[in-house]
Amino acid sequence: MCALIERAAKAAIILTTALLAAVANAGSAGDVAEPQGLWIGGMHGPTPKMLSGAVVVDLAAIEALMAEKPLLLDVGPVARKPENFPSDRPWQPIHRSIPNAIWMPGAGAAPLDAGREELFYRRIEELTQGDKAKPIVVFCRPDCWAGWNAGKRLVTKGYTSVRWFPAGTDGWQDERETAEVKPDAEWIAAPTK
Amino acid sequence: MGVGRSYYDKEERVKILPLALGVALIGASPAHKVLAADSDATGDERAARWKTLAESVFGDRKIEPTETLIKLDAPQRAQDAALMPVTLTMPQKHKIKSVYLVIDDNPSPLAAHFTFGPAADPGSLQLRVRVDTYTNVHAVAETGDGELFGTVVFVKASGGCSAPVAATDEEATKGMGEMRMKFTDGAAAGKAVQATLMIRHPNFNGMQMNQLTRNYTPPRYIDKLSVSYGDSKIFDLEADISLSTDPVITFSFVPDGKGPLKVVVSDSMNGRWQQNFDMPETMN
Repeated sequence: MCALIERAAKAAIILTTALLAAVANAGSAGDVAEPQGLWIGGMHGPTPKMLSGAVVVDLAAIEALMAEKPLLLDVGPVARKPENFPSDRPWQPIHRSIPNAIWMPGAGAAPLDAGREELFYRRIEELTQGDKAKPIVVFCRPDCWAGWNAGKRLVTKGYTSVRWFPAGTDGWQDERETAEVKPDAEWIAAPTK
Repeated sequence: MGVGRSYYDKEERVKILPLALGVALIGASPAHKVLAADSDATGDERAARWKTLAESVFGDRKIEPTETLIKLDAPQRAQDAALMPVTLTMPQKHKIKSVYLVIDDNPSPLAAHFTFGPAADPGSLQLRVRVDTYTNVHAVAETGDGELFGTVVFVKASGGCSAPVAATDEEATKGMGEMRMKFTDGAAAGKAVQATLMIRHPNFNGMQMNQLTRNYTPPRYIDKLSVSYGDSKIFDLEADISLSTDPVITFSFVPDGKGPLKVVVSDSMNGRWQQNFDMPETMN
């Protein structure tokens, strides 16, 4: 009887493992081609494995880079408050990211209003002190085109040391401590369209 | 999570911790340890976050840490952050008037407030919630005399607030308001019965993107739920966008009289649904 249960349990584990593998494959969708320019579809979905002109990095690579004080650029979304949300219930969004990251929510959107795109480039120029070779790590959440797009913008603009961290804030918090970050003041102060 | 907690008896607590000091004490008192479930560098930041939230929800009422009045069980690492199961256990159930579930780092942190009525058996509750990012989750029990007792766990779950509900909004809203009731644990007359309520509802939170149109689906979520047996209240639930799609709630009650079990649900778009359930014959 025990042996039978054990065998059944083993079979179940094997089956579950196989299913999980299948799901994982379906989820990452294998090969997503790099678009020519910016991705103008939905921001949430499988992203390419590559970003031409940039280096795709994992957590270890970011940590190795930390000595060079890279610009950590988080373009993750801001929480959207539901319309008519009751005023007597707390609405207190918090954004956790890689410590010392600069957070510019929406900077990976495409198309982006011309004024905001200009502001994005200006902020990056200020934050890198005009050094096009300064390492920049751009990220969002997993399966987030905003991170890819923001990286693409930087590469196109001539930044030569762009790193894209597709695992994003989720990948970071899995292994390391996060810190609360506020949106970049200049970025958020500008009117959105 | 087994972290050190201190527990004063009621008399002593009243003497040494005047209510006026209120929530301010949470940061400095032994509660500090409890309220920052992860002990690493961000512990202080998370404790500060909880202090702010506690002030929003409970004003200056003091929350005493407890291991005995309320327990919170959730997977340390949730498989699906859009429907993380949470179990609340209140062993001294006769003392409990209401319970709060707070998911600290969700944009709308107060996930649920259950207020028990005379037909309730407030020993346990189960529900499924959305979790946006790795976070502390607090459960706070309010006793009949208005005191608050809290406990906390840290959960690793992420992305539950933006996960799409279904391939299309039409699919997600099909059958909205339909309910099912499963009686999972019966007993003799006058004894508690456990039941699981399932409600078909997308509980759109406004952060989910329509996969076809790429627009955000407008929010529409269950804000009130009331369950009674006959004319006697089991519980009222106030909730919002942190409840999962197709909410599932397990609760216990003591059937007295002939029922039926009555559920009334309303949502943020003025939807209202009501359904009665008869107990299976074998349980009466």
